[in-house]
Amino acid sequence: MVAASAGRFSEAGQAQLAEIVSHYPDPGGAILPALWLAQREYGGWLPADAIAEVAARLGRPASEIQGVATFYTMYNTQQRGRRHIEVCTCLTCGCLGAYEVIDRLEQILGIHLGQTTADGEFTLTEAECLNYCEAATVVQVGERYFGGVNAENAADLVARLRGSEGCTPESLSNAIVEAIVPGRNAGATHG
Amino acid sequence: MNDSKLVNVTINGVPLQVPKGERIIESARRAGIDIPYFCYHPRLSMENGANCRMCLVEMAMPRTGPDGTVTLAKHPKPQTACSLPADEGMVVETETEAIVKARRGVLEFLLINHPLDCPVCDRGGECPLQNNTLHYGAGASRYIEAKRHYPKAYPLSEHVVLDRERCIQCARCTRFTQDISGDAQLDFLKRGADTQIGTFNAAAFSSLFSGNTIEICPVGALTSRDYRFRARPWDLATQKSICTECSNGCSIKLDHRDGLVLRVNGRVNEAVNEEWTCDRGKFGLPASISGERLTAPLLRDGDRFREVTWDVALGVVAEKLQAAGKQAAVLAGSKLANEDLYALQALCRGGLGSVRYDYRMGTQSSEARDAAAMLFGPNPAPTGIAGLEASPWTLVVGSDLAVEHPIVFLRLRKSWRFGKSKALEMVSSSAPANTHVGAFAWSSVRYADRGLPESLRSACSLLLAEMPGLTATPEIRAWAATGTPPADDTASRRMATALSTGPGTILVGEGALSGPDWREVLVALGHLAGLTGSTGSVNRLVSGCNDRGAEALGFGDWQPGTAGILAGAASGATPALWIAGADPVTQYHDPQVAIAALEQASFVVVSDIKLTATARMADVVLPSCSVAERDGTLTNVEGRVQRFWKAFEPRGSASPDWLIAARLLQRLGKPSVWFGWQDVLADMRSHVAAFGGVSLDALEKDGAMLVAPQVVD
Ligand code: SF4
Ligand code: SF4
Ligand code: FES
Ligand code: FES
Repeated sequence: MVAASAGRFSEAGQAQLAEIVSHYPDPGGAILPALWLAQREYGGWLPADAIAEVAARLGRPASEIQGVATFYTMYNTQQRGRRHIEVCTCLTCGCLGAYEVIDRLEQILGIHLGQTTADGEFTLTEAECLNYCEAATVVQVGERYFGGVNAENAADLVARLRGSEGCTPESLSNAIVEAIVPGRNAGATHG
Repeated sequence: MNDSKLVNVTINGVPLQVPKGERIIESARRAGIDIPYFCYHPRLSMENGANCRMCLVEMAMPRTGPDGTVTLAKHPKPQTACSLPADEGMVVETETEAIVKARRGVLEFLLINHPLDCPVCDRGGECPLQNNTLHYGAGASRYIEAKRHYPKAYPLSEHVVLDRERCIQCARCTRFTQDISGDAQLDFLKRGADTQIGTFNAAAFSSLFSGNTIEICPVGALTSRDYRFRARPWDLATQKSICTECSNGCSIKLDHRDGLVLRVNGRVNEAVNEEWTCDRGKFGLPASISGERLTAPLLRDGDRFREVTWDVALGVVAEKLQAAGKQAAVLAGSKLANEDLYALQALCRGGLGSVRYDYRMGTQSSEARDAAAMLFGPNPAPTGIAGLEASPWTLVVGSDLAVEHPIVFLRLRKSWRFGKSKALEMVSSSAPANTHVGAFAWSSVRYADRGLPESLRSACSLLLAEMPGLTATPEIRAWAATGTPPADDTASRRMATALSTGPGTILVGEGALSGPDWREVLVALGHLAGLTGSTGSVNRLVSGCNDRGAEALGFGDWQPGTAGILAGAASGATPALWIAGADPVTQYHDPQVAIAALEQASFVVVSDIKLTATARMADVVLPSCSVAERDGTLTNVEGRVQRFWKAFEPRGSASPDWLIAARLLQRLGKPSVWFGWQDVLADMRSHVAAFGGVSLDALEKDGAMLVAPQVVD
């Protein structure tokens, strides 16, 4: 087990973890939010070091933390592109054109599902129901949802994501959500 | 969980009285009713338990209606008997049509992804999955789809191999590492059909106790690298035995074939190892007695050895010993049985008039040992292994417990796990950052260069500060006050709070009394024990397998001790030396001294099971028997005398050491009346007070404790 002091959590991250842990009677209860935090602190995924650091900070066995991290699909245990595009292919989105969106995105990005572009910019995967079915087809990028994506505006989504170099997920998304589903962005945050 | 209150339950129509809260699977067993299971294990926690669903039963509870009438309300769904706590009026059925069908369904699901490669599986023939399928499963499979596949034989560690396809995800192995050994190295990774057990980041499964997971895995998913593909269970014979790899003396089973021990499994002994073993014993014991073994006596012939008959060899040895008389000496190894030691002692004292014999290879002097025995009682260890469970606090000094005394460690951990005990330790700052006991210790004090005595002294002074009302002589107060204050203040204070709660247990490892400061350690221990009211529960931990037996027999009570014997051999003052089952060239704390002594000795006879480095330097080598090839008794760290049974015949003409001693006694004209090991034991019982209470009956069960000497004022 690595010592917590050897970890990579930023000052802010450490403070945030302390705040999260304070909500639980036992730090072991904070594994899920701690992993979310670690994923952010480690640049969007959870390398073994990140898992070891969470284990050390929460005083839990590293095997248990890795078990949790590999159980849930929304923790990235493989390195991802800088932007992770997840297309919902569950029932509603699946019926309303998710697969065409995927075909189109594969074409634009030149990769297949599960792959990352050569420049490390985008990873494309499927997602289960994102619980925003009324806006099918729904695409999640980082911590933002985009509704009403279709084969036509998919290119627009990618172009805008590309143009958003240096933007935080929060600041980049409003314009794009507006462009795709006018007036819909208000309810479209998640997480 | 259980309380002492008894409740009435009915299982398959059989009325039973069982403790409230007992799991129904256990209650059923009392009534002789078998409920099949995989994940249930009485020593593992229910956290992550009750997952295999094999133990389903139907259950009903009495319900009082508004009009006061009591009816039986059947639970709509089957319940898992392994997690169902017995309660008043509970009615359980285990063989209804629904249950028979449910079990068949559970098995069908378990078998969907199971490779059914029983013909090449180590577990085949002793596999709960095979057995339960035969008894409760469907005759044929309906599953025609593709099964899940993984590469076979994934090496989890140098000892344990994982076959992921065979795993039924019962969580026994993961719970073992979490609950019992505490290293928590195994857990489930991924989910759904991809679920598999593994270690963090695929690191080696490096637990000191990993072998137990192989034993409790209900399928052939975890196998032993040593034993893999070497035998089928039905080709093996099993004999009860005692592990000789350390002083804890675990009860084990030797599975053997054609005179080879192929594997070691734990045997239930609630007083000692419960059912566990450590890896050193489980994998080390078969290795230590297999390989090239001595089969006939050897006589030096220039640079080489020549095989000779026992007659010739014993003739030479007897002549040399007789000539040496009271200058002859014996060094005994720690794996020799009580009977061997007693017979060697008889040979020395009765046959040769010599008191030059010893068993110690470390730096602890007889003075240190005797002083400790005088202070804290010679035998048996007052608290013992199982006794740790009732001790409010246990302080470990001078021992890396998990490594030196694995089973004592497990018991200490168990006692902590059930909230009964606080573990305390004092360790040198050079010990690794995460000591095994430190992982759960209430307080772990590092003593830097201040040394153990100072650390104990400051514990006393903090204790006196904590409890001003404590009765202590002015001398003790003055002594405590002169110490340097601890560097590790927080941990020391925390320790004092535990020590102030009343009497507890102190475990003193050999390391504590092996240094030049042993006198100060003893004084400080004596004061600490006195102040906490624990003088009667200081347990000395000996390292070698039968060191406790040797000590009880007084095997090393006489001058000159091992050092003197070796010096004598080098100077010619020891004209004949018998080294029985010991290898000073590799075991003596200063091997150079041992080598020099053997080079210059005029006559050395070595009896051992292998041609050790020491044996290579001998004039005569005699083949002796390992624990598997003979009967006898060993005394473990707590002073429990335990019997082991012969599993197979000795190699060639090998003979146990007591018998070699008996034959030499005969040649010296002082014949013994020992025709079997029991005769030696009987003699020992009547002549050595400590062994007086060792009954053959007790030896057939959990063993018998050494008898504490009568205190005569
Ligand atoms: S490896 Fe064996 S003990 Fe471990 S979960 Fe799988 S079946 Fe159970
Ligand atoms: S604890 Fe000691 S006696 Fe028990 S198995 Fe391990 S080495 Fe053998
Ligand atoms: S089906 Fe796509 S969000 Fe629910
Ligand atoms: S034995 Fe009860 S669920 Fe596994």
